[in-house]
Amino acid sequence: MAGLFTADIENRGLVLDPRTKLIVMITLVVFALGGTGSDIETVRYGTTALSILPLILLMTAKQYKKAAVFGILYAIMKSAEIFLVPHITGVALSIIGLCCLIFVRLMPGLIMGAYMLSSTTVSEFIAAMHRMHIPQQITIPLSVMFRFFPTVLEEFAAINTAMKMRDIRIGGKNAGKFIEYRLVPLMVCSVNIGSELSAAALTRGLGTKVKRTNICKIGSHAQDIAVLLLTTPLHMLWILGMIGVIT
Amino acid sequence: MHRIDLQIRKGECVLLCGASGCGKTTITRLLNGLIPHYYEGELQGTVSVFGRSISDTPIEDFAGIVGSVFQNPRSQFFCVDTTAEIAFGCENMGLSETEIQKRIDKTVADMCIEKLQNRSIFNLSGGEKQKIACAGVAAMLPELIVLDEPTSNLDHDAINELRDIIRGWKAQGKTIVIAEHRLGWLSRSCDRVVYMENGSISAEFTGEAFFPLPAEKLSSMGLRAVLTANNYLESKTGLTQIKPFDGIEKITLNGFTYSYGKQYAIHISELAIPKGAVIAVVGHNGAGKTTFTKCLCGLQKHFKGTVNIDGKPYRSKDMVWLSYMVMQDVNHQLFAETVLEEVMLGTDDTGEQTALDILQKLHISEYKERHPMSLSGGQKQRAAIASALLAGKKLLVFDEPTSGLDYRSMECTAELLRSLHKDITVLIVTHDMELIDRCCTHILHIENGGIESGCSGKGAI
Repeated sequence: MAGLFTADIENRGLVLDPRTKLIVMITLVVFALGGTGSDIETVRYGTTALSILPLILLMTAKQYKKAAVFGILYAIMKSAEIFLVPHITGVALSIIGLCCLIFVRLMPGLIMGAYMLSSTTVSEFIAAMHRMHIPQQITIPLSVMFRFFPTVLEEFAAINTAMKMRDIRIGGKNAGKFIEYRLVPLMVCSVNIGSELSAAALTRGLGTKVKRTNICKIGSHAQDIAVLLLTTPLHMLWILGMIGVIT
Repeated sequence: MHRIDLQIRKGECVLLCGASGCGKTTITRLLNGLIPHYYEGELQGTVSVFGRSISDTPIEDFAGIVGSVFQNPRSQFFCVDTTAEIAFGCENMGLSETEIQKRIDKTVADMCIEKLQNRSIFNLSGGEKQKIACAGVAAMLPELIVLDEPTSNLDHDAINELRDIIRGWKAQGKTIVIAEHRLGWLSRSCDRVVYMENGSISAEFTGEAFFPLPAEKLSSMGLRAVLTANNYLESKTGLTQIKPFDGIEKITLNGFTYSYGKQYAIHISELAIPKGAVIAVVGHNGAGKTTFTKCLCGLQKHFKGTVNIDGKPYRSKDMVWLSYMVMQDVNHQLFAETVLEEVMLGTDDTGEQTALDILQKLHISEYKERHPMSLSGGQKQRAAIASALLAGKKLLVFDEPTSGLDYRSMECTAELLRSLHKDITVLIVTHDMELIDRCCTHILHIENGGIESGCSGKGAI
């Protein structure tokens, strides 16, 4: 099932604490995207090595296809950066070089994001936010929003099917109104579902003054510690580099 | 709604019935506090639930006292896994983790749904979803449980399971109020039946007096029958004629085989259906009815079968031109700004007069300037049919056209389907035996993806 925070809990392989995922994400953003410590050679190698971690995580979540696609894309970009970019000049350099630079930096964070969204359930997400002391005023609207997305996607698929039967498509007679024809039913259906969803939520006590509890069991397990141990060397290398022990 | 005076005793099971728009749903909303707190309107008089006035108590405070189960399983879930969903209400009440776990275990055991724990909501059938919704409500241990048309998306087996759940609640001494069109499944559970007309209560019956009423009496009150004479799910698989039909021409379907992964979803090598007939497609949930109709409408990707009509073979991608599906949620297929524009859409330069004639025939010509979304459910259905007719479709497929309809609307739909069958072949996927009795000439019973009697077409490839 595509969508945000709608992991199929019946078949998702290794489960990590959402907070662990967040730490890996931050590390990747700081080092790969932000380029922190890229003047230190060992940190550069460490960053590249850590960029493979999200791919492994995707595989532990049994999302082999996604992992393969991202892996190949990343490998192409990275090898182009290493082998191709030093040998080209002029306009080609600025275009290809820029592309490589952006993609190589962006991809690790992007893959990690894909993993995070597709392997976490809404309840885990809320539980993690709760443990991090984020107020309910933020978590409840967010959780309802995440619940709403897959529903809208379902509606959208149904509308697409209906349009196919009526032969409304790009290039058809009514191409100009293509978007309008899609949005009107989508909006009507979404509004209906949204209002029914909030009515159902109210009758089940969402929004009481009482502090909400959560039965979702999240917490550090062996796999979380393993993943965290994989990320710490990079931080250490960077600190060592900063104080001048290594270069 | 006006002049309602109703007292429901503790531990009673009350059925609210009446034609669509009679005010059943309004009463359920008054009981769970959605009126006046969520749906706005003018409320005179007082409603009190267990001595607490509805208008003075915020709706969330009723959460542990009144539980509600709604009609549409798509819009009453928050979590993606079942256990979290059952816990959702208790979590909102701020109960401790151990207490919630205890309640979940008890509810799950009471309702015999151990198998449904820790499942993904997206992999559940409609009936299973409705059971989880009931469990989520039951775990909050409410005194009063309100159900608003809980069976409109369920098949026969799922309804029987819901009946057992209701009986279980009754045995626990809970007060139950059900607003419902389908009556049969409640016959031995309800103590009292409240019949409503035009927003007021026009009659009250005891359960014993109400359910034996003859079908004619019920239909004159605008109610669906308690019992239907025929259960076509017990007929043999394959095509059976149930009414006189004089068409000779046939439409042949060849190679209707489709599989998801390793299992055949449908496996019908050849089938001839009479052209111009009205055919009910019946079968249990998961029998392959949906896949069958999707293949027939050319909506299933990588489907290799063909349809022979008027001596010409059509492949999957041409079937989109040939057939049209009227979906259960007809809102998905109305796009334009006016009804007239809607039916003209996608057709070639067919004259406006032809369109008007078709609207006339379907009794919606007076609404031709209205926005399709502003019509009633039945009128929307007609607008969708009109557009299919104008587009020259030969095969019309209906997905549960009467779910949640009262007697009169069902009768109208049946009338409409009967009137179509001169040059158009109609297939109706339905669980509604009353509808089948009224308008279908044939039954197509699919079980395990196949139509051969007694055999299962579903097997490993």
